Amino acid sequence: MSAGEIILRTDGVGKSFGKFTALKAVSAEFRRGAITAIIGPNGAGKSTYFNLLCGAFRPSTGRVEFEGRDVTGLPQHRFAHMGVAKSFQITNVFPQLSTHENIRVAAQARVARFDIWRPRARLTELGDEADAILERVGLWDRRERVAGALAHGEQRALEIGMALASRPRLLLLDEPTAGMSPEETRVMMELIVKLAEERTVILVEHKMKLVMGISDRLLVLHHGELLAEGTPDDIRRNETVKRVYLGQREH
Amino acid sequence: MNQASQATLARARDANLDWRELATRYRVLLVSAFLLAFPLVMPFTALAINILIYGLYALGFNLLFGYLGLLSFGHAALLGAGAYFCGIAIVHFGMPWFAAIAIGVLGGVITAAAIGALATRTRGIYFAMVTLALSQCVYYLFYQAVDWTGGENGLRGINVREIGIFGISFDFINPMTRYYVVAGFVILALIVLSRILASPFGAVIEAVRENEERARASGYNVTLVRLITFILSGAFCGLAGALYALQLSTVPIEIMHYETSGLAVMMCLLGGMGTFFGPFVGAAVFLMLENLVSLWTVHWQLIVGAVFMICVLFFPRGIWGTLTMRGKS
Amino acid sequence: MAGLTLDLIALQLFTGVALGAVYVLLAIGLSLIFGMLTVVNFAHGAFYMLGAYAGLFLMTQGVNFWVCLLLVPLLVGGIGLAVERVLIRPLYGRGIDYPLLLTFGLSYVIVELVRIGFGKTGYPVDTPELLQGAVDIGVGYFPLYRLFVIGATAVILFGLWLFLERTSFGLIIRAGARDPEIIRVLGVNVRRVWLVVFGLGTGIAALAGLLAAPLQGVIPEMGGPVLAEAFVVTVVGGMGSLLGAVLAGLLVGIVVSITSLFAPEMAKVSIFALMAVVLLVRPQGFFGRAGLMS
Repeated sequence: MSAGEIILRTDGVGKSFGKFTALKAVSAEFRRGAITAIIGPNGAGKSTYFNLLCGAFRPSTGRVEFEGRDVTGLPQHRFAHMGVAKSFQITNVFPQLSTHENIRVAAQARVARFDIWRPRARLTELGDEADAILERVGLWDRRERVAGALAHGEQRALEIGMALASRPRLLLLDEPTAGMSPEETRVMMELIVKLAEERTVILVEHKMKLVMGISDRLLVLHHGELLAEGTPDDIRRNETVKRVYLGQREH
Repeated sequence: MNQASQATLARARDANLDWRELATRYRVLLVSAFLLAFPLVMPFTALAINILIYGLYALGFNLLFGYLGLLSFGHAALLGAGAYFCGIAIVHFGMPWFAAIAIGVLGGVITAAAIGALATRTRGIYFAMVTLALSQCVYYLFYQAVDWTGGENGLRGINVREIGIFGISFDFINPMTRYYVVAGFVILALIVLSRILASPFGAVIEAVRENEERARASGYNVTLVRLITFILSGAFCGLAGALYALQLSTVPIEIMHYETSGLAVMMCLLGGMGTFFGPFVGAAVFLMLENLVSLWTVHWQLIVGAVFMICVLFFPRGIWGTLTMRGKS
Repeated sequence: MAGLTLDLIALQLFTGVALGAVYVLLAIGLSLIFGMLTVVNFAHGAFYMLGAYAGLFLMTQGVNFWVCLLLVPLLVGGIGLAVERVLIRPLYGRGIDYPLLLTFGLSYVIVELVRIGFGKTGYPVDTPELLQGAVDIGVGYFPLYRLFVIGATAVILFGLWLFLERTSFGLIIRAGARDPEIIRVLGVNVRRVWLVVFGLGTGIAALAGLLAAPLQGVIPEMGGPVLAEAFVVTVVGGMGSLLGAVLAGLLVGIVVSITSLFAPEMAKVSIFALMAVVLLVRPQGFFGRAGLMS
């Protein structure tokens, strides 16, 4: 399990919804231990690609390999069991449960999914683990608060905490800073960099500037196709990318 | 880290315990004490027994609707299967009463597994429709199996005159004996439900209700969670059905009727869905209302329907839910 | 199996289509209402029963059957309008289960009111004189009234199709069924559209009840089993799809009548077996969109 080997690979994956093709045969490789950002203008197919990577969608064509295993079309919950966790683009927590319980339930999925008899209060290690994660994502003082009552940025942090609770080897983040204030964005970016020290991170981001500084590699999608991939410097120098993506911004 | 602050937090929580939280903590004990005294304050023991049986039925329904958030309109099939299985075990196989009750629970479980396997493939609004349709199918199947179920005439002759508990024989014709036997099973069911709700799976049930997509991403197989909960619900309803058969000595085919499914919905909502005591409160209010209203009109369903509509419109938390929410927020 | 000729099967097919016609009308109302309002109308069976009783009542008052065909849907549809306006409207935005529960409670009230007004026992309903008897349809003699039910359903469907395809209001409904946002963007009063659609759906249900009355008589509880069967049709056809409702309605009718030819005791169960198969193979139904189910 050395850094640098391929953790996730897509081989010609595409997705159509009825007559509409959202993504056309994208082949790419993601390296262990790296931060890879998937960028592209609106409607480029970023979210579709993301949902194929995390198992939320079943690809219409092609295959997905995780750690050398064909995982195409496996149900979503199996991805979590394998060590793939994700955060959603739109905040997605258990709104009426406490912040602590949100993370505890997420952690519980690793050890006790169908135990209907033992009191869960006795699974103290899960509670401790949830507390540690709360500390880590900066929500310790919100421990007892109902998740639905948290501020937007806090809910996003909670979501990352829930993803961490499944102890993923691969963390997928869909626009983790969407709707955040600049200050919240900065904190989130720092958190992501810190998290990436221990695991592979793939994130989808609309704002290119944000990810240039922290990513090891970038994939640029456009019109449902892979336009370019490479290091941030490669991408910066890439004329096609400039034309379709950066150019668009300047107008 | 933070061990001290955690302890402080816990102590602060204990100090703030109000009657609601106390009621939750000692809920099984509370209900048990109440059930022991209950027949003493009720005018008719038969009504008290019915409240227990229907309360148990609504409790099974509540596990699915209140805690998991799935609205089933097919629970009559689960109650009915419990009653028929128990009755058939006694009438056709001469089984002892406790074995027949176990068979009744099994009947609820099997039927729930069959209906659930199909219905949990659907989601949202489909679920209510599909469970209704499938329970109607179960109704016709039992209706057709005249040799076993008596068809239109119902299953008769479930006569249990006395029951032995630990070698002591009790006169089961005495309503008080019946009441305490039923109450014993209800308390057992409450203990089991309490454990399920406090178990890891109980947390999963709530999580799926709260956000199915998030639960899936966290690694829970949502379809399977639903099926298992449906089957657990079937076990409670099967037990209620078995007790119903013993209490009534017959099983009328109407037990499988669509309106019996609606009964669970009404009682649960009336009492307060997703609350521990709600189903029994709902069953008690419903049955007492029915008894009261039918004293002066045969058209009690009109009142019941209207009360239910008012409940949906103005008190969606139900009686118990409204009581316990007052002053909380 | 002697006597089981092709003609007999063909004749039974026609019977199935006539039965299916009633299902089609019920399911189309359910589907229309669901497609627009995302409300599953559990009182749909009660409105069906109300239609049958309204017809019976008007006819005993000397109103001609043909006039009833016009009056009954207007009358019951009007009640539907009031129900949407007064009872269902306050529940929008409160979760999908609440309107469903409300209409369920409403069905109790409607059924009991009919029991108060007309008694608990059922009545037979005479077939209109003009439609009595049977006609030779090539494979054998077929009751004229059933033929009429098929024809009337076809006319109603055609009228509905014209309404949806050719009128501006129909255009709004079609757009709204696909995406409720569109209506808002167009600046149309959504509430009014929902009101009309609910009235329309209940009116069609009443018409189905009126058409079915001479076939099976009336009884206050007649809406219960029919509701379950209409649900099967909507599940098989795909919720919210009108074409699905038509095809599935006919299919269910045919399956029932063919089963009752070979194994009469399994006729009722066959409907649900059909639904089970569809759920296993294609959970969203023939024409349902998978997304609608969540």
